[in-house]
Amino acid sequence: MTRHPTGFRGLVLALAALTAAVGLSVVAGALLFWVVRLRIPDLPNYLLLATIGIALLPLLALFRRRFPFLSDWYYLLPATLFLLAFTVYPIVLTTALAFTNFSGQNYGRPDRATETAVAFVAPSTLRFSSDPRQALQCGDRCVGIQVEVYGGNERSRLKVTGEGPTTLTLDRAPSFASAAGAGQLYVAKINNYRFIGLRNFTYILSNATTALWPVFRWNVVFAAASVITTALMGLLLGVVLNDSKLRFRNFYRTALIISWALPNIITIQMWNALLNQQFGAINRMLGLLGIYSVPWLTQTEWAKLGILLVNLWLGLPFMMTATLGALSTIPTELYESAQIDGASPWQAFRGITLPLVRTAFTPVLLTSFAFNFNNFNLIYLLLPQGGPAIPGGMATANSTDILISWAYKTAFRAEGGSAYGLGSAIALIIFVVTVGISMINFKVTGAFREEAR
Amino acid sequence: MRLARTGLGWLLGLAVIGYGVGLFRSMVASVPHRKAFGSVFIANGWLTALLTLLGAVVLLLVVSVVATAVSNRVRGRVRTPWPLFRQTVTHLGLWILIVVVYYPVVQVVGASFDPRNNLFSFRQIKSSNVLVRAKVLPDLSRAGLENYAKLVEGVIVPTWQWVLIVVLAALLVLSLALGLARRWNPGVHGLERWQNRTLLSFAGLLFAGLMALSPSQFTGMSTESHFVLWARNTLLLSGATGLLAVLLTASAGYAFARFRFPGRYGMLMVFVFIQMFPGFLALIAIYYLLSTLDLINTFSGLLLAYSGGVISFGTWVFKGYVESLSPSLEEAAMIDGASRFQAFLRVLLPLAAPMFVFIFLLQFVGTYSEFVLASLVLTGVKSWTVGIGLYNFTTGSFSTRWGVFAAASVLGSLPILAIFYGFQRYFVSGYTAGAVKE
Repeated sequence: MTRHPTGFRGLVLALAALTAAVGLSVVAGALLFWVVRLRIPDLPNYLLLATIGIALLPLLALFRRRFPFLSDWYYLLPATLFLLAFTVYPIVLTTALAFTNFSGQNYGRPDRATETAVAFVAPSTLRFSSDPRQALQCGDRCVGIQVEVYGGNERSRLKVTGEGPTTLTLDRAPSFASAAGAGQLYVAKINNYRFIGLRNFTYILSNATTALWPVFRWNVVFAAASVITTALMGLLLGVVLNDSKLRFRNFYRTALIISWALPNIITIQMWNALLNQQFGAINRMLGLLGIYSVPWLTQTEWAKLGILLVNLWLGLPFMMTATLGALSTIPTELYESAQIDGASPWQAFRGITLPLVRTAFTPVLLTSFAFNFNNFNLIYLLLPQGGPAIPGGMATANSTDILISWAYKTAFRAEGGSAYGLGSAIALIIFVVTVGISMINFKVTGAFREEAR
Repeated sequence: MRLARTGLGWLLGLAVIGYGVGLFRSMVASVPHRKAFGSVFIANGWLTALLTLLGAVVLLLVVSVVATAVSNRVRGRVRTPWPLFRQTVTHLGLWILIVVVYYPVVQVVGASFDPRNNLFSFRQIKSSNVLVRAKVLPDLSRAGLENYAKLVEGVIVPTWQWVLIVVLAALLVLSLALGLARRWNPGVHGLERWQNRTLLSFAGLLFAGLMALSPSQFTGMSTESHFVLWARNTLLLSGATGLLAVLLTASAGYAFARFRFPGRYGMLMVFVFIQMFPGFLALIAIYYLLSTLDLINTFSGLLLAYSGGVISFGTWVFKGYVESLSPSLEEAAMIDGASRFQAFLRVLLPLAAPMFVFIFLLQFVGTYSEFVLASLVLTGVKSWTVGIGLYNFTTGSFSTRWGVFAAASVLGSLPILAIFYGFQRYFVSGYTAGAVKE
């Protein structure tokens, strides 16, 4: 064991040393990569990760000789580096995009719809056959926008600095402007995304009554109802199967775990077919019982009930197992002494089983709530459209959508126009809500209480 | 005060139940009076079903009363029939539950053997069984393997792979036989070891065989004919993700459990909370990162994209597990001259094997069902996973591909099913040992 510099100073010292080691290795790795690439030109970029790794190892050994206490931190290094590169960095980028209008239209690439044939009349002046403002769809003025000029194998991004009736002046002359044999040249406008401040958030808030609020309300109701239904059924089943006098109980335990043991990507889509109103097996079964076809996936309330029933099917085995695990920790002597004292089975259940199960169950319930709150697979695979539309609402936020499926559809589906900036803003809201739930979770279960020393 | 709180609780509960009942009644009233296509509609069929159930319960009551009376007479003792009655009714209820739980599975397995895509068809089925006629039970009169054949259409299998398949089948049969032999002769000790060996060599050979598959073997024109390739891709990806999770979290979890360095609590917070950002919504950023690194449409790229998501949970669970182990073993090793790292490597890691199995399996199962990130990074049918393929079946043309979907579902479920039942012990104990501390 080595002695650490204590307190805040120790933390800063360790972090500074680690940052220096990693930063130096990135520089050295990039240099190494560059040198190797001079010899082998078509080297794939991911080898950069390897060269950084190669540079990191001796540096870490070197730093450890100078700061022996760093060796404790080295245990955290692999996980931390992966977190930084593949979680923190994407999150930072996504957060930044939440304040832009990045979307399927504005994504920093040339807009092919504005492609126009042009020719250079001077080294930096383009001539159009018609009005460039119409051809490039830039409204009143084209000055200030970015365009891409391309032809043959050449392409160049330029800025428009002046305009005439059929000409545009560019900020510089591309190298191929004067070269003969470049062939026909084209120009297209580049739709850049830009910083729009809080406008994504104000948009969400101004449409809150038809999107954010109903989606959030259903999100909470869905998560809470899922936990309550699965927990009650799981508790019941667990208590029944915990009875040592019941024969074949191991068989029942094994058999009833099936829905947990199948991949949910398969079972949820299977339920989508089974719940079909006209053809689904569930409605045909109900027909045998003299019940008319239930609009499981097409009517708001029934769709919500269908989601909860499917989630009950999916979540029951976990809750059953959790109950059995909790019950197995209760010593049987407690029940025996209760029986001797003349307690009825119901009194024993209320007095012994419930209080003891509740302690073990609290973290399970809260974890289950947090999981269901973002249960994307269930909501999106069971009802890809999100159920019936909310009157006057957005195309991406329908009546069975939860926050995460709303964000996904906004950012990646055609009905949301691939509005990635807006989707990122919703993702930030989800992040805040999830962190809030988890704070409550940790507060209630005291998971961090002993850590906070 | 206590009384007021209890009363308030009851009132609240009643209000919720009352609201639910009212909502349900209005929902029932809103159901249009239409019947499902091709269904058999029996008016008041629910009454018949209920009466049958009641009859069964009464029958069980009579049987238990008679059986108890007979056994009381024979053995000369006095016992009430209620325990027996309760036991049998419990069994009845559990069997009804099993039927309900397995019903969708039966439907899908049945559909996978039915080449006629019966899901969205108006076809009438002639059968003497009313359940088959109502299409509530699958009609197996024309059962065949056509749907499965479509999944392997145009796959060229060289001789050595046929040999491998035969060897694999033999190993599987052998291990099943050993399992049965174990059940019949519980006393014999060597059997378990041999069964484990055959199972291990089965898994190893299967994995090696799958890895040796080449995309050029798949010459079928249809999307679904690449299923075996998808299965290979999925197993490779899930396995690698599970392995990466173990590798990345072991040392971090150990450090959090055993070391007391300044900033430990803060780092732990960062590790846990950073993961609450909905990961796959950072898709664009991840896509940008991967394309900068030339890793689009590669498994390593997707693996790196998953790596961020595996760390938090694994670290937390492993930390909990290490804390439940006594540090005395490592301390003894260090007194004997081992360094801290050697103690971690040689003493702790072997002890923590069950936890590694748990973390690995959980990531394996989780990755198996992931399709959003995968469908973005992996373009092109040959690099799809089972999840992307199945999702592709259901978008748009579910009606014509229901049979193929069912067959792919059955085959695609088998690995997870086998893993789950094979390692059930680890799933149950993992949750209790790491996640739920007492």
